[in-house]
Amino acid sequence: MLALVDANSFYASCHQIFRPELEGKPIIVLSNRDGNVVARSAQAKALGIKMGQPFFETRELVDQHDVVVFSSNYELYGDISSRLMSLLTQFAPDVEVYSIDEAFLQLEEYTGIYPSYQGLGLSIRESMKQWLRLPVGVGIGPTKTLAKVANRLAKIKPELNGVCVLDSQEAIDEALWGFPIEDVWGVGGKSVSKLKKQGIRTAYQLREVNDDWIQRVMTVNGLRLVHELRGMPCKLLDVNPPPRKAICTEPGFGKVIPDLDTITDALTVHLSRICEKLRKQESLCGTVTVWLRTNPHRRTPGNFLPAKQYSNSVTVRLPHPTSSTLEIIKYAASGLKAIFKFGYNYQRVGIMLTDLVPADYRQMGVFTQGPDERLIRLSAVIDKVNKRYGQDKLRLASQMYNPEWPMKPSYLSPRYTTRWEDILEAH
Amino acid sequence: MLDTIDYLPPENIFLTDPTRRKDLPFFDIAVQAGFPNPADNFIRQRLNLQDLCVLHPDNTYFVKASGESMIGDYIFPGSMLVVDSTRPIETGMVIVIWVNEGWCVKRYIDKSPMIMLESSNEKYAPMYLHPDRDQVAVLGEVTYIISKPPRYARPR
Repeated sequence: MLALVDANSFYASCHQIFRPELEGKPIIVLSNRDGNVVARSAQAKALGIKMGQPFFETRELVDQHDVVVFSSNYELYGDISSRLMSLLTQFAPDVEVYSIDEAFLQLEEYTGIYPSYQGLGLSIRESMKQWLRLPVGVGIGPTKTLAKVANRLAKIKPELNGVCVLDSQEAIDEALWGFPIEDVWGVGGKSVSKLKKQGIRTAYQLREVNDDWIQRVMTVNGLRLVHELRGMPCKLLDVNPPPRKAICTEPGFGKVIPDLDTITDALTVHLSRICEKLRKQESLCGTVTVWLRTNPHRRTPGNFLPAKQYSNSVTVRLPHPTSSTLEIIKYAASGLKAIFKFGYNYQRVGIMLTDLVPADYRQMGVFTQGPDERLIRLSAVIDKVNKRYGQDKLRLASQMYNPEWPMKPSYLSPRYTTRWEDILEAH
Repeated sequence: MLDTIDYLPPENIFLTDPTRRKDLPFFDIAVQAGFPNPADNFIRQRLNLQDLCVLHPDNTYFVKASGESMIGDYIFPGSMLVVDSTRPIETGMVIVIWVNEGWCVKRYIDKSPMIMLESSNEKYAPMYLHPDRDQVAVLGEVTYIISKPPRYARPR
């Protein structure tokens, strides 16, 4: 059996840990330039605030209903998340961290102090409430997909008290009977319409389909999913996650920027940041994608007509995989130059590093030298220095250092658990 | 009135490491080949305060105290409290608790169905709370108090 534990509205709940007066209040969390809504408490969802909605569109609702607004505080979320994951290992030795707020626990051969799966689930819930003041939901089932189904039911059926166990065929049948296919883990938008055309609307019906047919419609992944719904595990626990296959960032500027130089500076700053991530997971990247776009919601000042829109992207294949900021910025900047057009006010520049390979991989190109080992070593030294003396203390000259930039978010909350100057005060 | 100096016993004095780095002490002894270094057996990790005060790192919060209501329990304005949420609270614990509109540090006495929160400074009266009427939320139990010694006042 597997358990899926996840935190309810994790970001919003993190803010409530140290501010109990916010319990039951509508809360929204904004993306890292206060641009869009990235998380909502249950009460904010009920007001109709959408995921990803631009913040300015929600202003009216926010003022009307006294919605509490926070800028995202990833330092706090990251610390609370690592506490949660570490505490979960007290309940089961094998924990797969699936995302910042959910984890799978392997309960096979489980002979613990809890008389039943239900008891274990309740104990996890109560412990997290006491230890972290964090509300979590627990779904338990024979496969990952069924544990996901159980977890969802635990959320939407208040009478289950946040724990749902599918440990008998009857319980599984009942759970899948009315379970809409679009809520099944791994069924994407395209597959939903294909399946609905065939009259398949619930997970129960999906479980009964013919194997060959589902493999044609939804490839081998669809087949795996159907097997999982039947209770045969195909997705095994992954305790040591593989390095990420792509690293990507798309920060906004806070204000619109018309000139190439400033955008190149921004690109350099973000690239330095994600190259650090790349080196941290010991990968090299083979391909860089850069994109650029204007603000789709902007209106021309004065006449309120929609402003001119432009967006474009370019993908550059590197001659050899590398993790050196110096090498990658050369290609990324020339790519940016190629897609840059004058006369627009840009709002976002994005970078994605794909084609990642492990750092011990070296393959000489036919016509080029391999990656310059000296540059890779240099980057490692730069990372070390910056770790010790602070971010960006040692940086590329093209990384124009402007303390005004990036912009300070306006709804910052204290980083209660990671900064001395932000800790809680008690009277 | 004792007029002898009460010495600290030497076994109470430790070499401590203020940082979280685990350094190994370096013994500057020229080693002759083939002759074992007599100091090798004494190389130890230095001590750090984290190991002593933080038994459950995942359940521990640091909180700064302000106000003088808990002076009798050695909690002064500016003291750093180590708060551990591992154990459920019971009568007699000094806890950090949210009461209606702020966090406070008090001694907890269970007076079912009421909660009594005692201060340790006679200027402050005990608080009586009712879980249905008042909003309460417990952060955890104060397990260690870190403070500076009081300032020296010159005798007149």
